[in-house]
Amino acid sequence: MAALLRGLRAGRTLRGLSSVVAAPSAVNPQCSSLNRGFHRAALRLQDESKSDKPPSSSSSSSSSSTTYHEHYQATEHDTAAEASQHDSASDPAAEQPERPNTSYQDQSGEHGEEYETEEQLQSRILTAALEFVPLHGWSMEAIAAGAETLGLSSASTGMFYNGAGDLVLHFIAHCNSQLTEILAEQHKQVQLGQAEPKKTADFLREAVETRLRMYIPYIETWPQAMSILLLPHNIPDSLKHLSSMVDDIWYYAGDRSTDMNWYTKRAVLTGIYNTTELVMLQDSSPDFQDTWSFLDNRIQDVVNMASSAKQVQSTGEAVVQGFMGAAVTLKNLTGLNQRR
Amino acid sequence: SIYFDLRSFRDLQAISRVLILFLFLFNQKPMQGSKNQSNVIFPTPLDSEEKEMLHRIVRVDHAGEYGANRIYAGQMAVLGRSKSGPLIQEMWDQEKKHLQKFNEILSENRVRPTALLPLWNIAGFALGASTALLGKEGAMACTVAVEESISEHYNSQIRALMEKDPERYTELLQVIKEFRDDEMEHHDTGLEHDAEMVPGYWLMKNVIQLGCKAAIYVSQRI
Repeated sequence: MAALLRGLRAGRTLRGLSSVVAAPSAVNPQCSSLNRGFHRAALRLQDESKSDKPPSSSSSSSSSSTTYHEHYQATEHDTAAEASQHDSASDPAAEQPERPNTSYQDQSGEHGEEYETEEQLQSRILTAALEFVPLHGWSMEAIAAGAETLGLSSASTGMFYNGAGDLVLHFIAHCNSQLTEILAEQHKQVQLGQAEPKKTADFLREAVETRLRMYIPYIETWPQAMSILLLPHNIPDSLKHLSSMVDDIWYYAGDRSTDMNWYTKRAVLTGIYNTTELVMLQDSSPDFQDTWSFLDNRIQDVVNMASSAKQVQSTGEAVVQGFMGAAVTLKNLTGLNQRR
Repeated sequence: SIYFDLRSFRDLQAISRVLILFLFLFNQKPMQGSKNQSNVIFPTPLDSEEKEMLHRIVRVDHAGEYGANRIYAGQMAVLGRSKSGPLIQEMWDQEKKHLQKFNEILSENRVRPTALLPLWNIAGFALGASTALLGKEGAMACTVAVEESISEHYNSQIRALMEKDPERYTELLQVIKEFRDDEMEHHDTGLEHDAEMVPGYWLMKNVIQLGCKAAIYVSQRI
């Protein structure tokens, strides 16, 4: 019990220390790695105070703790020294005063696979930061505010090298996975026969509308987000997200093409999506009605063009047939076809 | 330009519509594949490295079968009504089956087809037709060269997959082995039907094989 209190007190001072250090020099990269170190030590301390196993690097014999240790060994040799100094309680902690959201403690006090990786932590912070975006915009302030909601110090923003870019990309990935879930669910319904398959044009329209509606809560600040995505170092990631989203939509729309159609369809849908997004930014009609009718018109354009292309092709073929017929007739008339 | 003002949105709209129209025109009709749903030929990739490797394999194999199809089509266009027509037709039918299988694998596993397919379309047809113009021996020599390249390529894929984890990739290995055996059979058929009698056999064979190697390298990536 005394050891537990010692550990908690040490954790609190450590975090206080890190916020003092972090405040004046958040931009300095050396300091940010220091923040990272402090943050991770704080994290580790929190979890050490919950664990029933001493977190020394060699002692884990049971397999359930190896993931925890492997992860930490791989990334934190520098903080091992610090953390081992604060080697504290080994009895399971019943109360979790600082981190109410992260009680991974189960009955036996084991960590196992419930331990959080850095990516999961980052994603939790960014998700929490989203609610501050209308207030602070897509920026480090929003991330810091999000971190504070989770009970972490705002110094933990040092983890995010790309800053606001991280936040925007996280949001986009989140929207894409939500869209994929919705589309997969609809697909399953159709497979089970519980729903009618939609026509391609309707499917595309609804998918794009669903996806764009996810931006509505953040529509005021969305231009800022788009300009962040256009920064050179963010372009590869944003293109990747865009292309995987378009690929998903076409896959669930039933596209199984394996030739140039694959590229054409995705290029067309990307164009439709991007232009509709731009229109949405400037739309002030109620519930964005203008945007949805713009989307409707663009999809109609594509459908019309596909059918015109088919018509042109069949006309072309008919014309060629006509020419061949005319050529054969001419040959007959001039007697070239006869064998002498 | 006096016809289009690139600063005006309406003209841009018109230009883009014309471009999209051209794009639609130059697409081929997609082949009719079977509606087989459960064609998950490889397990869900564990990480992006494995995904990249598996996707490259499927992409290049698909491109290879597509090219082989077009080569036989070119050969048939020239020699279709000759004595060797039925033989070439038979080999072409087998390649069509291979292509259908890879179409299914590609689409069900969400693999991107190579962007160079139109190029392989034209190049394959041209290769088949031009070698067939040298007569039956020329067509057979082309078949021998191409099938040898493809078999070698399939063998190296089989080796790579076996090295990594034979149990994990069982179905994919099965498909590739079966196709490799078919291609070797075509190669032997070509040799049986006087492929080596064509003048300049050695030169033609090496040039074609070099072209195949380049095509394989490029199709994996682009």
